[in-house]
Amino acid sequence: MLTLFKNNIKPVSELTSEQTAVEVKDLNLWFGEKHVLKDITMRIPENKVTALIGQSGCGKSTLINCFNRLNDLYDGCSYNGEVIIDGKNINSKKVNVSRLRAKVGMVFQRPNPFPMSIYENVCYGLKLQGVKVRRHLDDAVEKALRQAALWDEVKDRLFDPAMTLSGGQQQRLVIARALSLKPKVLLLDEPTSALDPLTTLFIEELMESLKKQCTIVIVTHNMQQAARVSDYTAFFHQGKLVEYADSDTLFTMPEKKQTEDYITGRYG
Amino acid sequence: MVKPSFSGLNAVQRQSLVISLTAFFTGILLIALVSVLVLITARGGAYFWPEPIFAVSIKSDNAQQSKTLLANVFDDDAQQEVRLKYADAGNPYGTQLLVERESVESLSVALDSAQIKLNDGRQVLAIPDHVITPEGTNNQLSELTRVMQKVALLSEKITTLNTQFLAPIHEALSRFDNRDVAADAPAREKRVAEFNQYQQQVLNLERQREQYRLAVKFADGQSFIIPVSNIQSVDFVGRLSLLEKWQVAISEVIIFLTESPKQANTSGGVFPALFGTVLMVFIMTIIVTPFGVLAAIYLSEYAPNTALTTVIRVSVSNMAGVPSIVYGVFGLGFFVYTLGGSIDSLLFSDTLPSPTMGSPGIFWAALTMAILTLPVVIVATEEGLRRVPEGLKAGSYALGATKIETIVRTVLPIASPGIMTGVILAIARAAGEVAPLMLVGAVKFAPALPIDGEFPFLHLDRQFMHLGVLIYDSAFHSQTDAKSASMMFAACLLLLVVVFVLNILAVLLRTRLRKRYLEG
Repeated sequence: MLTLFKNNIKPVSELTSEQTAVEVKDLNLWFGEKHVLKDITMRIPENKVTALIGQSGCGKSTLINCFNRLNDLYDGCSYNGEVIIDGKNINSKKVNVSRLRAKVGMVFQRPNPFPMSIYENVCYGLKLQGVKVRRHLDDAVEKALRQAALWDEVKDRLFDPAMTLSGGQQQRLVIARALSLKPKVLLLDEPTSALDPLTTLFIEELMESLKKQCTIVIVTHNMQQAARVSDYTAFFHQGKLVEYADSDTLFTMPEKKQTEDYITGRYG
Repeated sequence: MVKPSFSGLNAVQRQSLVISLTAFFTGILLIALVSVLVLITARGGAYFWPEPIFAVSIKSDNAQQSKTLLANVFDDDAQQEVRLKYADAGNPYGTQLLVERESVESLSVALDSAQIKLNDGRQVLAIPDHVITPEGTNNQLSELTRVMQKVALLSEKITTLNTQFLAPIHEALSRFDNRDVAADAPAREKRVAEFNQYQQQVLNLERQREQYRLAVKFADGQSFIIPVSNIQSVDFVGRLSLLEKWQVAISEVIIFLTESPKQANTSGGVFPALFGTVLMVFIMTIIVTPFGVLAAIYLSEYAPNTALTTVIRVSVSNMAGVPSIVYGVFGLGFFVYTLGGSIDSLLFSDTLPSPTMGSPGIFWAALTMAILTLPVVIVATEEGLRRVPEGLKAGSYALGATKIETIVRTVLPIASPGIMTGVILAIARAAGEVAPLMLVGAVKFAPALPIDGEFPFLHLDRQFMHLGVLIYDSAFHSQTDAKSASMMFAACLLLLVVVFVLNILAVLLRTRLRKRYLEG
């Protein structure tokens, strides 16, 4: 089955802008004086899983925070360049950030369910969008929980506090919460690093099924995971995009020495 | 470096020495706490317990003859003298006497004598002798209950006449007087006639009531007549069983909680003070909670991280340490005179120069206490806001929430236990404060409650009574009157109970919130 998907993977250079979900052009970002992202230019393909790998502090999490402008929350952050989603440069001042964030879902490293019931967690975003009809909310909650493969486990206790779920369940709940808004792009920031191997596998399978509906960008430290789940992989080093290719190529025949060193574990 | 006193000890001994030292001081703390509670509870509780009456024989110095008194005996073992609270024909309502312990010849429980409590708060210790009624003078004492019921019925009639007929007519008359229209004269005449007629009825009933009297005798055989209408209760303390004593005590507690103070805050109840305290705290909470929470939200979520913000934050915490009397003076100078004075000249100029809002009152007291407790609420709320995990806020933003939506939907619920903590501390502080309140509206005796049936029902400009102020006031009677020392303790006990109850309610609420929002 995997090979079936891998077959229609084009090389990065052949991606057209119609097939691109997120286009990054000359993106530079500073935290105060610190130059964190340097001239990043890349096209992230639609309905594919793209993995961002690299050492801690190389800027990969900061990059996906650029896709929903979460960096705006931090004092002293400044950036230029373009990030184009849906044909619009989201770095423009005119962009409604709340609407953007509703369209670009995000899942964090540590599960962060709100201290409310499971049901309320999933419809948090919908209620913000002004959905009030109970029936619509019920349907959306069920759909999102089914997509996140959590429905069967929680359908009898939707109104229990979300904190009573296990870590893996909480992470899937958070994914369901993001999916409830039907995002175009789903950003996963090391989603499995706080989870056990079995739950990790579960979430990896989930990603495989989710990419039919949305584009997935995953930040990971786990090389095997990147190779297993992603169609494309980008390797970052000290704020620069070193190499970006389809995962088969990058993991088997990396062009750069630096990449090879990192993926074989010889790197510093 | 080894301290000289430690040098002879090994490590284990040294450790156990430290443990016993620290435990010792904790023990002392516990003893202090428990003794405060025990003292207040015991002395406060004693106020309600019927005091036994003794027949005390005392040696007189000059005539080698002994004198007998009916008295409550307050015997403090530490002192040479025994304190007697007795009544005789010269002092029918009781006075105090200090006698040498040696000069007390005999002490026996006076079974026949009773503690007769009067409606005006005074009491008589005497032997009830017989009941005087219009029908005959020498009725048996057993008639007393029946006679008291009869008198109560008469009193009820008088009250009905007063409230249902006399008061409305009086009101109508004063309306006529205010209008001062000549055409009203016939109607006014008619009303006056009605008024006189009802007043005559009342006078008749009162005269009838006065004919019921209780004759009592003191130890020396002199008699004293008490109108039955003035008697609240007659308790033969010596004959009461334990259960009956409890009944008397409970009825005393009920009187204490529901009636007004009598005899310059030395007897009667404390209801106006209890009511005033709770109402003032309530108004203060309504003011201080939104004020403090909003300020804390600005400081912790919106304020730029500059030196000015730090200065503000530090001064807010320091404000909590400003002596409360300073706030009282501020409240008097700014709220009462400046603000209240301006309100008067703007809105109530027709009643000037007599002030409406420009004099101390419950609203200014609540506002002053709100300012006083504001730092506590701000600091506690900020603490609560700081405990909200950054990950949750980021999660909320990532779902498309704006800052204000994130604060309202996620941050505030999670911070609510912290906010409650601040409010609890504020309530406890305001309920027990005395000094600033005396400047801005709390008085020893207020003629009316701040809430009544008259429009606008809640009279924010009225002065009010406060338990703390009542305690302060009754403390000065303790030297002259044995019982009011207990009244002070009883009020203390009540204040403790009020603060405990408010605290427990708030703690329960906080636990519920914490369960809901922190543990999930």
